[in-house]
Amino acid sequence: MPPKQIALEEWDRLYDQLKATGLSEPSYGGKISRHLTDGDLRLTKLRFDNSIAALNLWNFLLTEEERLANARAEGKKLVGTMKDLGTVPVLAYSLPDLVAFYPDGAWWIPCVMELSAGLLGIADSLGIDESFCPVRAMLGAFVTEAHFPLPDLLTCSVGATCDDFSAIAQRLNGLGNPILWWEIPHRRKPAENERAVVLPGGMTAPGIQVDFVESELERIKKALESLAGQPLSDDMLRDGIARANAIRQRLSELRSLVFKAPVCPLPALELLIAEMLALHYCSDRDASLQVISDLLIETRARVDQGEGFLDAEAARIFWVNPVADLRVMNLVEDCGARICGTEHLFTHALDEIPTDVPPMRALAQMALADPMVGTAADRADRICSDITEFGAEALVLSRIPGASHCALEGGAIADIVAARLDLPVIEIEVAPLNDAYWPSLGTGLRALVETIRQRRGK
Amino acid sequence: MIYGGIDAGSRTIKAVIIDGDSTEIIASGITDQGVKQDSLAEALFNDIAGSDRGKIKRIVATGYGRDALPMADTTITEITCHAHGVHHLAPHARTVIDIGGQDSKVLRLQNDGRVRDFAMNDRCAAGTGRFLEIVADRLGIELDSLGEAAGNATAPSSISTMCVVFAETEIIGLLAAGESPENIVAGVQQSIVGRIATMGGRQIMDPVIFTGGVAMVSGMPEALSSAVGHAVTVVPHPQLTGALGAALLAVDSSDH
Repeated sequence: MPPKQIALEEWDRLYDQLKATGLSEPSYGGKISRHLTDGDLRLTKLRFDNSIAALNLWNFLLTEEERLANARAEGKKLVGTMKDLGTVPVLAYSLPDLVAFYPDGAWWIPCVMELSAGLLGIADSLGIDESFCPVRAMLGAFVTEAHFPLPDLLTCSVGATCDDFSAIAQRLNGLGNPILWWEIPHRRKPAENERAVVLPGGMTAPGIQVDFVESELERIKKALESLAGQPLSDDMLRDGIARANAIRQRLSELRSLVFKAPVCPLPALELLIAEMLALHYCSDRDASLQVISDLLIETRARVDQGEGFLDAEAARIFWVNPVADLRVMNLVEDCGARICGTEHLFTHALDEIPTDVPPMRALAQMALADPMVGTAADRADRICSDITEFGAEALVLSRIPGASHCALEGGAIADIVAARLDLPVIEIEVAPLNDAYWPSLGTGLRALVETIRQRRGK
Repeated sequence: MIYGGIDAGSRTIKAVIIDGDSTEIIASGITDQGVKQDSLAEALFNDIAGSDRGKIKRIVATGYGRDALPMADTTITEITCHAHGVHHLAPHARTVIDIGGQDSKVLRLQNDGRVRDFAMNDRCAAGTGRFLEIVADRLGIELDSLGEAAGNATAPSSISTMCVVFAETEIIGLLAAGESPENIVAGVQQSIVGRIATMGGRQIMDPVIFTGGVAMVSGMPEALSSAVGHAVTVVPHPQLTGALGAALLAVDSSDH
């Protein structure tokens, strides 16, 4: 099937054709449109990749709530991990019958359900209004219990994490949800006489900070062991890390293929969804690996055949921060651009976890490599390096309304990238629903594409 | 050969016709925006082109309503068109500040006039001409007289830069407290240019060109200059730079 982006109705017709010719599906398969009955209204306004791999990706994503409900019914223990983005799930999935998920992921529900679930309204009523990050939707999800069962254990990293998220999590705690807090310090460069540790991604941190984070993670490990009713051995954790790394390796290959191919082989929207799987596995680590592997096979085949979307002249944009409104990923392509590099605030979860040190030490090093616990300059360094590697021609800094990292770091990153690479940089703001700002967003992105084309002609 | 540019803004439609060889402006015009903007634009073009209407080889549309004009051969964003128009009129310009009816933008240009990067207001009308219209209406002062009123201010009021709706409430409160209309007008002007200065950040480079309808409101260029800390020049017919840029790009993109 030649690659094409199609609307939901077209996917329904294609699905019928595929079924008639013997489509083999995973347990979560079916028409994407069936999720409309769950209230996922935004699906009618998105364009989807027409591959079977993409069909499975979407169905996998949109059935997570069912998986969590089934896990609870099967007697598995649910771990709600908050804020750490990629660390605690590696620990949790290394133990049998523990299922970890990110309640933070509820931040997309207002977009996908077009506010119909009322989660932001509930957060408002709890005093967490629109001056906070859309992650506040999580509060509403805890109140309604309509999107995930209440976890058996809730963990949350605090310290050098988002101020607004800390406030939201504290409000959640105040509502009667016990939280096991663990601290992540602000990553600093080692002093001259300090023992330095190289972290995934190439940054360094003082050994004393790694020691501290490791001790914090030991507390989390004990709580998880208690929940699972059995100890977590180093061998079990090594196996968990190996499985996490398998997903990260495939994702890294997928990103590299997509960003470097002469013609864009996978739409920005599907890649964004796939990147998120590195964090949370959509509550099924093995299925997550399968979904990404299939997507990688499809993408590699397209690259080999020179097939894809847009044309080879499409403007190459590096994108910083995930968008709260998924439609914006389609809009980028409507404007004649493709995504060639991303930094969604969790690059540490895309890099492989070290395997040459004891496993708890490795997790601590990975956690300290989190872009959100370091400086904006650290983020800019990584962004500059990736822009160069992927050949991006411009940078879009997408702000999330209320998210303190976006508000505080965007300007600093813009200045560093513009000065170091002499690239056009624009900042935009993407709220959960952007209908009112759609023309303005489109104009900004189109103007950036025009700017890139003019620069090529100089 | 003659070429046309049309800038369908949120408040007005502007049109320019130029000679493709000399790039001189042959005709130009402005009309208020309305529901049927395609008809309004067509009528404006017919009016300014007269008997030459059929001779226009190519038309480029820009502005908020650019995609709703079937008469245009192609569309280009107002960012690119303003940069092109300003570079034509002021070749050394490095920064363009455009304050229109309902939006505003800051463009940084390279030496050759191409866009380096830009910033746009993407939320509220607080940094736009709409704010001036609201205050003029509220204070019963003609738009053209705002500059004169601001010039008579003794102590400009402090007005919110966050939201026009809140700012209007503030103005009502200030009037009730006995504040002079002159001080309020000056405060609103400072509020608008303050927002623009924030949007432009630390990257504003000389020479700075001020375009858009708000550039014609007396007192605004001085207020803007003070806010951004650079001398500001208003080009002739600052409302037309987008349409002019569109016409110039019509020439560039044709097989002329």
